[in-house]
Amino acid sequence: MSKIKIFTIILLTLCTLNLSAKEYKASLFGVKSEGVTLNTKSIQKAIDFISEKGGGKLVFYVGRYLTGSFELKSNVTIELKEGAVLVATPSVYDYFGVNGTKALIVADSQQNIGIIGKGVIEGQGAAVLEQINTQIRKGYLRATATQASPALIAMNNCSNIIIDEFNLMNACGNIQSYSGCKNLTINGVTIKSTSTKGTKGLLLAGCDGVKLSNIFFETSDADISTAGTSKNISVISCKNAAGKKLQITN
Amino acid sequence: MGKANIYLLMLGLLFSVQLSAKDYKVSDFGAKADGITVNTCTIQKAIDYINENGGGRLVFEAGNYVTGSIYLKSNVTLQLNHGATILGSTNPFDYIKDKKIGWMSMIFAVNQENIGITGKGTINGRGFITANNMVNYIHRGIFEDELKLDRAREWNRPQNIYFRECTNVKITDITLRDPASWNQTYDQCKNLYVDNIYVDSKSYWNNDGIDVVDCDGVVIKNSYFDAADDVICFKSHSPDHICQNVVVDNCVGRSSANGLKFGTVSRGGFRNFKVTNLTIFDTFRSAITFAAVDGGEIENIVVDGVRSINTGNVIFLRIGDRWSKGKKPYMKDITISNVYAEVPFGKPDAGYNYEGPVEDLPRNISPASIVGLPEYKIQNVKLKNIEIVYPGAGNPLYAKRGLAPAELDSIPEMRTAYPEFSQFKELPAWGIYIRHAEGISFENVTFTALKKDYRPSIVIDDVKGASFKGMLFNEPESEGKQQIFQQKSTNVVTE
Repeated sequence: MSKIKIFTIILLTLCTLNLSAKEYKASLFGVKSEGVTLNTKSIQKAIDFISEKGGGKLVFYVGRYLTGSFELKSNVTIELKEGAVLVATPSVYDYFGVNGTKALIVADSQQNIGIIGKGVIEGQGAAVLEQINTQIRKGYLRATATQASPALIAMNNCSNIIIDEFNLMNACGNIQSYSGCKNLTINGVTIKSTSTKGTKGLLLAGCDGVKLSNIFFETSDADISTAGTSKNISVISCKNAAGKKLQITN
Repeated sequence: MGKANIYLLMLGLLFSVQLSAKDYKVSDFGAKADGITVNTCTIQKAIDYINENGGGRLVFEAGNYVTGSIYLKSNVTLQLNHGATILGSTNPFDYIKDKKIGWMSMIFAVNQENIGITGKGTINGRGFITANNMVNYIHRGIFEDELKLDRAREWNRPQNIYFRECTNVKITDITLRDPASWNQTYDQCKNLYVDNIYVDSKSYWNNDGIDVVDCDGVVIKNSYFDAADDVICFKSHSPDHICQNVVVDNCVGRSSANGLKFGTVSRGGFRNFKVTNLTIFDTFRSAITFAAVDGGEIENIVVDGVRSINTGNVIFLRIGDRWSKGKKPYMKDITISNVYAEVPFGKPDAGYNYEGPVEDLPRNISPASIVGLPEYKIQNVKLKNIEIVYPGAGNPLYAKRGLAPAELDSIPEMRTAYPEFSQFKELPAWGIYIRHAEGISFENVTFTALKKDYRPSIVIDDVKGASFKGMLFNEPESEGKQQIFQQKSTNVVTE
């Protein structure tokens, strides 16, 4: 528990700006919790608005929030309260990416961002994959499209990132992909994603200052994959479904 | 008509290519016709794919397809089959405010060619809900707008269609319903062909029937419009462009504003129009309004064959000086012929959604009017074979504008005002009032007042050259009444 306390302190230090900033409930922006309304643009509007107003937390309470890709912006933290599920749309054309990686949550060149809380990000990986395969069969997507299956989180060239506590489930592509990011802290998240093949838990490329702790990995491919150029990585108390304690050699 | 025929031919030739092109079903791209799924990204992907693969029709089969803003691209036609409806998302954030255009819309096209929306299906903006949702977000501080008139500005509410700088545009057979702002705008387009469309556009403020802005080569025919705002509205947003070479034929319209309108934004102008077989009914303002108030020119306009039944006014021609910025407006060579019109005593659009605002009171029933400015006269207007039936009953105890020079001179010029037939409040005639004009000719014109009116039928003021041929005035208890009154006018001939 002392470790958690330490992380809490670190978090508090890093998030001082965010925590002192305003909280915005998702419904303020018309985001709907019934699992049917596609909330992409409302969530994006909320993030843009909060970022423009100097930052804060966008809070999702219990419910299912259907969405396609959206971009996280500087000084915005998404909080998924317990029971809140961010549900990825099965519609394949509702995804975009950064640096060649499509994802549900995308961030490019942003600072002081986070995703926290006890909620869930549900990737609906099997359903998305089925759609991709259908579109390939019909000829509207290239056969290589499966290689670009959307991840849950993809960030590029971002700094001061907090990923804390929530559950990441059933990605179509990989779970998380970070390239060129600085000061990335991932703590206490649970990754369960075996519904599609080749899902990696965490990709790091060219990152500097990565603290991984208390992460549980259950994936259909590698738990952690580093491109080798990342530095200053620490791994504490991370394990996978086979009980293996995970380590990275810098 | 020669010009119109040439345009029809050109359009026919250009579109024959498209008709033979490939059909793609939107459902094959994964679009859901469940009336719930927001299909924006999927429809856009389908349009992009067809555009990149040689063009063709994107076919919507029966069902309800929800979408936010999409961009139509060259050589793509949206084919809406019978029973297919494109439903606008009711979430204002699903719409883009295009940076170049500066307005929100559901279906955009910018700088594309050979595009169309065809078929017996429907586009329903569900604008009432979207517009009210937007007001809600503005109150919450999520969206910025001054809420002028307690509603979001027109450009912060989505139209159904906004095409800008497109060439060869075909809109046929579709039904267009319930936008949140104007309805369908074609801006700086060349060769626009609209045939057999049905428009029900009275779900929110500013719902027009069709707006044609600075376009060259336009055919609008066989179409029906029911609109809260103007029905068939030609505009000129750019002082460097002009709306020209236009044919409007066999259209029917209903409005809580104007029927056939030029303006209000009228910077460049309007040239070479032929409007035939036009029916306007239950319309709050004027069946025909031509406004040159922003420095624009209006020239060579023929309107032939109008039935105007239960409309608040019939003809309103106006030169003003609102946003002219030094540009000199003019209006000349206007022919209006074969018109039968009935103006009611009551409110012509009573009971319709978004009824027109009761304003400019007190005034008795307003006459038709042709009103220029002292230095910008309306020139060469011919009115031929016209019958207008008015209720009469102008009561001087309610509102009075007498014929004494001081009273006629007291009618304000209203140079910078928004032009409406009622803007001068009480006018001194019950049939037609003409001021600051040159070369006005009446031929075979009948004005009927069903009840006695205190005013003469016609007042002309500062008119150089007017001829009245075959005039007939019907008004109870009017024996010996002088029905044509003139002030400061020269060269007035009555036969």
